[in-house]
Amino acid sequence: MSKNRSWKAEKLIERMRQKVTRQMMLSLEACVHCGLCTDQCHYVLANPGDVSYAPAYKADKIRKLFKAHLDWTGRAAPWWVGARSVYTDAELEELKDTVFGKCTNCRRCSLACPMGVDMAVFNRMARGLLCHVGVMPEGVAVVAKDQWEIGNQMGVLPEEYLETLEWMEEELQSEYNDPSIKIPVDQPDRDVVYTINPREVKYDPRTIAEAAAIFHFAGESWTMPSVGWDQTNFGLFNGDDEFGGAVARRVYDAAVALRGKKVVISECGHGYRSTRCEGPNWGRLDAPVPMESAVITMLRYVKEGRIKVDKSKNTDPVTYHDSCNIARSCGLIEEPRELLNLVCSDFREMHPNRAENYCCTGGGGAMSMSEYAPRRLKSAKIKADQLKATGAKVVVTSCHNCVDGLFDLIRHYKLDMQVKQLVSLTANALVVPVKPVRVMKPLEGYKILVIDDEPDVRVYLRMIFKDQGAEVIEAPDANQGIRAIKSDKPDLVTLDLILPKMTGEKLYWEIKKDEHFASLPIVVVSGYIGVEAPRIDFHRFITEKNLPEPEAILEKPINPEKVLETVRTVLEKKNNIRN
Amino acid sequence: MHETSPLLHFAEDALQIAALTFMAVVYALKVRWILKFPAARDRQAPTGRGDTTPLKGAAYSLAAIAMPWAVLSTRQHPLFWVQFALFHTAVAVSIGMSFVIPYAPGLIEGPAVVLLLQILFAAAVAIGVGRLIRRMVSPYMRAISTPDDYFSLALLVVWFAFSLLAAPNNRQESEWPLLGYFFLTAFFLVYVPFSKISHYLYYPFARWYLGKTLGYRGVYPVQRGA
Repeated sequence: MSKNRSWKAEKLIERMRQKVTRQMMLSLEACVHCGLCTDQCHYVLANPGDVSYAPAYKADKIRKLFKAHLDWTGRAAPWWVGARSVYTDAELEELKDTVFGKCTNCRRCSLACPMGVDMAVFNRMARGLLCHVGVMPEGVAVVAKDQWEIGNQMGVLPEEYLETLEWMEEELQSEYNDPSIKIPVDQPDRDVVYTINPREVKYDPRTIAEAAAIFHFAGESWTMPSVGWDQTNFGLFNGDDEFGGAVARRVYDAAVALRGKKVVISECGHGYRSTRCEGPNWGRLDAPVPMESAVITMLRYVKEGRIKVDKSKNTDPVTYHDSCNIARSCGLIEEPRELLNLVCSDFREMHPNRAENYCCTGGGGAMSMSEYAPRRLKSAKIKADQLKATGAKVVVTSCHNCVDGLFDLIRHYKLDMQVKQLVSLTANALVVPVKPVRVMKPLEGYKILVIDDEPDVRVYLRMIFKDQGAEVIEAPDANQGIRAIKSDKPDLVTLDLILPKMTGEKLYWEIKKDEHFASLPIVVVSGYIGVEAPRIDFHRFITEKNLPEPEAILEKPINPEKVLETVRTVLEKKNNIRN
Repeated sequence: MHETSPLLHFAEDALQIAALTFMAVVYALKVRWILKFPAARDRQAPTGRGDTTPLKGAAYSLAAIAMPWAVLSTRQHPLFWVQFALFHTAVAVSIGMSFVIPYAPGLIEGPAVVLLLQILFAAAVAIGVGRLIRRMVSPYMRAISTPDDYFSLALLVVWFAFSLLAAPNNRQESEWPLLGYFFLTAFFLVYVPFSKISHYLYYPFARWYLGKTLGYRGVYPVQRGA
């Protein structure tokens, strides 16, 4: 007897025929229902007796569908092999409850299966089939929509993003008392293009600042893009390859547009997996730039001596939670441990660990599906027990979903623990290079021209100015003085009024009438200022010629302290005007 | 000397050849069917430890079945693995015996060999019965079991029982254990491509692809820490 099938069910089956890959069909066929996967799932362990959480049971929901439509025996004798199609929207809702609400796609059962059945892969496919017909948790729909329309999964607006970066830059400059620390945006041709999780902008901007500090002290040439900065990807959770490919492409395009040499992905498990590993596969494209996790980048900086760290700055007992996406699906396993051992003084493993670790229970997009939160927290008992057994005060993870999932379960199970990321511990362990305190000499950086016909005076003034850091040029007469002004462009001139060939007055007049040098500060140093001598009545001369007063007039014999104070004051005044 | 009956002669020779041919044809069609599905491939640069490769991962994955310490579930349930190993050894030996009895009976003439075979088949029967009970008693197992799962397991239990009886190859005294054994073997060969027992066709492919992917990503061979 044939049943009527709903439009959604019909479309879902149609889509399934297009989406099943060879790996998926083999996983769907190879299961022998041995049940060895059962006690590998945290949902099962936290809900003893409830068979609906058993990985093989959940997998069978999809397997039955596959068998009913694509498998020989399933079509010939469905009852015999447990094949069953879907007909109603209610059945699709039931499937949704299983693939979204009872599995985080953590892949632990896949690694535990003796047959090599990769359940997480076809569970994700099933999510994609359901999303294709609009059956999905509301949170998944909303977040995916934000990511598609606004460009990031948390709907962060461009101005909000840029303001946060500016804010963090100011914080950093103030914290390290170093205005040279920058968070560069859209700088082309940089070695590193740093991409982040929008959660960092919304809830945890400190991690951006910490990464910026690390880049700064490592002397990295880096930038953040103003678009394509979100390395997260809801395509991993909603099972939509086309969506996932398009989202990943935004990051690649941003890096290409900035001519960046490498994309560094901040500590985000699903973001790393999506951008680094799955994006090219979903988008059917070859990644145009190399990509790496910030964990690898930080570890390299420490190993290469580009940053110095002091593990005694992180003394709390620390344990490490391997994110499923990072460890089980991307093999980033030993690097975080290596880094932790360099930046923390008391690192202890949780058990099981590495690729065999239990899920944080916040993966697979679970944090965005509030309807399943009670289930999630109940299943988190396994993780809570695991954390508690370590005796650690801090659980470190390289994944933002894990941060949220662990934070929730720590609160729920009242554990005395904090959740941190490696970037925070590394930044905290930074040994900030102390800049050598260089005592600037008062006249350092200035060039002074001494025009005087008396060699002794020139030598004396040169010695005084040089001792204070100035560069000194000498001219024994007015003509050489003019040439030196033009060629050496001094910051200040000391001028004797009695000079051979051309008097100092005349030279003063020459200088002040030349628009290029009119503003050049001149300190007159002469022995005849206060003397009644018509030949050198400097004051009358400048009045007659309508010339400005010199910056200072000093009398010989030279008082070195007075000369220095005068010259310094004149130069400081000039410098302030310039700034 | 006892003359082999035409029925037994047919059962141990022509029937087996026909069943094997049928199985080979169906398997060939199944392989063709597998290959019709597009294989996903990893386009990204490899990740993880530098010393892992897709080939290493695939080899490790295929060998994992013989390394109970390598797979989390079998490490936690070693007895289950021992049962698996005995059960599947018995399958291989029983199939081998269907060739030996008609074509090289001298290989299993010695009483010690017969005894060993019988112990193996008896163990396989016991394991099969145990698995059948587990499948019926455990709510988890009941929830995932299909009629094919029960039938395949029961079929193997009965087949092992007949293997145990047929191992002495004592056709002079009675042919019925041998007739039962050969007819069941033929049925087994014909039935397996349509049942869960065909996992031994899918399993190498499934493990190959999983191993290739996880090798490329630096996960396989699995590294276990302290």
